[in-house]
Amino acid sequence: MSIFTPTTRARPGVRSIATWTAVSLVGAVAWGVVALVRGEHISAIWLVFAALCSYAIAYRFYSRFIARRVLKVDDRRATPAERLDNGIDYHVTDRRVLLGHHFAAIAGAGPLVGPILAAQLGYLPGTIWIIVGVVFAGAVQDMVVMFLSMRRDGKSLGQMARDEIGRVGGTAALVAVFSIMIILLGVLALVVVNALAKSPWGTFSIAMTIPIALFMGFYLRVLRPGRVVETSVIGVALLVLAIAAGGWVQNSSWAGAFTLKPETLVFCLIGYGFIASILPVWMLLTPRDYLSTFMKIGTIALLAIGVLVTNPSLQNEAITKFASTGDGPVFVGGLFPFAFITITCGALSGFHALMSSGTTPKMIQKESQVRLVGYGAMLMESFVAVMAIIAASLLDPGLYYAMNSPGGVVGATFQSAATAVTNLGFTITPDSLQAASAAVGEPTLVSRTGGAPTLAVGISEIFSGFLGGTAVKAFWYHFAIMFEALFILTTVDAGTRVGRFMLQDTLGNIWKPIGRVSWLPGVWLSSAAVVGAWGYFLYTGVTNPLGGINQLYPLFGIANQLLAAAALSVVTVVLVKSGRLKWAWVTAIPMAWVVAVTMTASYQKIFSADPKMGFFAQRQRYADAIAHGKVLAPAKNLDQMRQVVINSTVQGVLAALLAVLIIVVIVDGARVCLQAIIRGRELPTTEVPYVESTIVAPSGLFATADERRELVGAATGDGIGER
Amino acid sequence: MSLRHLPARLWWYLRELAGETGYEHYVVHHREHRVAGAPLTRREFERRKSGTAMRCC
Repeated sequence: MSIFTPTTRARPGVRSIATWTAVSLVGAVAWGVVALVRGEHISAIWLVFAALCSYAIAYRFYSRFIARRVLKVDDRRATPAERLDNGIDYHVTDRRVLLGHHFAAIAGAGPLVGPILAAQLGYLPGTIWIIVGVVFAGAVQDMVVMFLSMRRDGKSLGQMARDEIGRVGGTAALVAVFSIMIILLGVLALVVVNALAKSPWGTFSIAMTIPIALFMGFYLRVLRPGRVVETSVIGVALLVLAIAAGGWVQNSSWAGAFTLKPETLVFCLIGYGFIASILPVWMLLTPRDYLSTFMKIGTIALLAIGVLVTNPSLQNEAITKFASTGDGPVFVGGLFPFAFITITCGALSGFHALMSSGTTPKMIQKESQVRLVGYGAMLMESFVAVMAIIAASLLDPGLYYAMNSPGGVVGATFQSAATAVTNLGFTITPDSLQAASAAVGEPTLVSRTGGAPTLAVGISEIFSGFLGGTAVKAFWYHFAIMFEALFILTTVDAGTRVGRFMLQDTLGNIWKPIGRVSWLPGVWLSSAAVVGAWGYFLYTGVTNPLGGINQLYPLFGIANQLLAAAALSVVTVVLVKSGRLKWAWVTAIPMAWVVAVTMTASYQKIFSADPKMGFFAQRQRYADAIAHGKVLAPAKNLDQMRQVVINSTVQGVLAALLAVLIIVVIVDGARVCLQAIIRGRELPTTEVPYVESTIVAPSGLFATADERRELVGAATGDGIGER
Repeated sequence: MSLRHLPARLWWYLRELAGETGYEHYVVHHREHRVAGAPLTRREFERRKSGTAMRCC
């Protein structure tokens, strides 16, 4: 009936062949420069070209292959948005708008933080994993999950696991999702604390986002209901004012009031998280979400332009010695498996499977649009990660290690940091470290771990290169800090809420009243439980003598990739059950890879005899020392020693628990797959039956000439956007 | 498609992306599908819609 049906196959034209040959050639040359040039600083532009050309080819060929052959998208079939349209959550949404929504939902601090930490291994391993990973794993996962959820009226990943695999696998997946979310929130909050500690400028401007958001909420609710764009413009203007005002506060008598110790910030954040999660969403969450969405899209676009205009050269090495020795100061572990654990969002992120199921699939107009929305949005996020690795790699390595090493390694002064960096094999003088700190308006940049400050220095470098010069470097630094803190706080708020719903849902099975969303004591109790759980990780991260990021970040990475393993195993099961064994490799290969990565990492973190690597070996070492009354550096006293023992135990147990949960999901999934293979026929899935669609819409970003003719024929129009 | 329409298209995109048009779409939907009863008020609509969208890392 429709020319949009995926079975149509036209012969490629000469122009198409010429274009794609050119794209391939540019991409190949860029990859050649990135991968092969050694001993001189290459331009960041090569990374951008390598990424963009790879994305273009992958989108044009691989995503199309998956859509047509593997998923067999069918535009004659009505999507849930069309069938169940209620104008509220099920609602046909323009594909380009949905791409924006979905991108805003998946892209946060993750693709910015991971690549910065992974720059410890050099720019090459991270860049390869970001690009190859997204093409063959991350974008595939997002798109396939989105498609399968769409065929099931927008069911969540957890629900699909229960329906398609069974109760055991489903329950294990649910517990894993909850634990992973807690670790995620703790680590993200830690990034904010590390960026704001002892920085009156940053602390003041972030604190100001609360009254700004409250004002926006009130404005949207009472003064001008529904005027989102107008409200956001006012909000962004106030935000910029707050950043500028931070500079004045820093030089005023108020500075003391906003110079907070990390421990104080932890309690501020915990209190904030609790209150924010029990307030109605329109007060804080929704307005801040608008702010962070516009800031996110604006800053990323500006960063891309900045890299192209200023054309910076990379100071980082392609592959550092830490890639093979595995004893770098930022995180412990070598290239395999830790490059693939450190960079999750941007290459492959299990968390996206939660975002790609649920909300977005309820709004898709045409089945074929999962390619644009699912695969396309993930390519965009991957590009954000490439920007981040560029920003980290254009810093002088000496500065990078001074900023990203735990306090136990570099001490607290410019002098001690310079000495420690020299011992690591890099050079920076105390004076230049001081100058770099002063240039961005911070008292010190020594041991500002977590990635956010490093990214902010990189961004200030790029932005001041084409917007305002060195005079405004400090402004851009705090702009970047604001940009990251803003969406981390939104994630903390939203995540606490989602965690609370999950907890209430589960506990409601045991004791009815707590499951009721309107029963306030139940809401408070479960909110407090969720905040307490991530607050615990945050607190131990901040006070850990061994460095919170160094200790906790690998756990977060492993957790996120384990979730990806679970999601890929769920979708592989569905592919096999629905008679697509032939194509199951599309998700089974990335699954096998991520299982290999996470199981190796988990094994090393649990069983390694090296106290730096293995949680339990570390525990043993410190427990033995305590037994002999000795204090091991960097711990300063026996209390800190005991703290290390407790932290290592908790982290080790958690790593083991997560690994076991995911193994349960995978083994249970494999059982169902085997069943389907042995019986040699399709097993029933929960796919919703076919209903014929009555709407016509293009599949890609731009309507093709044929599609436009059909649109006119159907006289539906496509909103003002298509005119 | 011409450049003349570009500002209008950008404005359309911005409003759609921000969800500003959500209520308008809902009212149109309500009218066209002849749903029984009066449509929700804007405030009621915003309340019903505002589930928590999870934000990723």
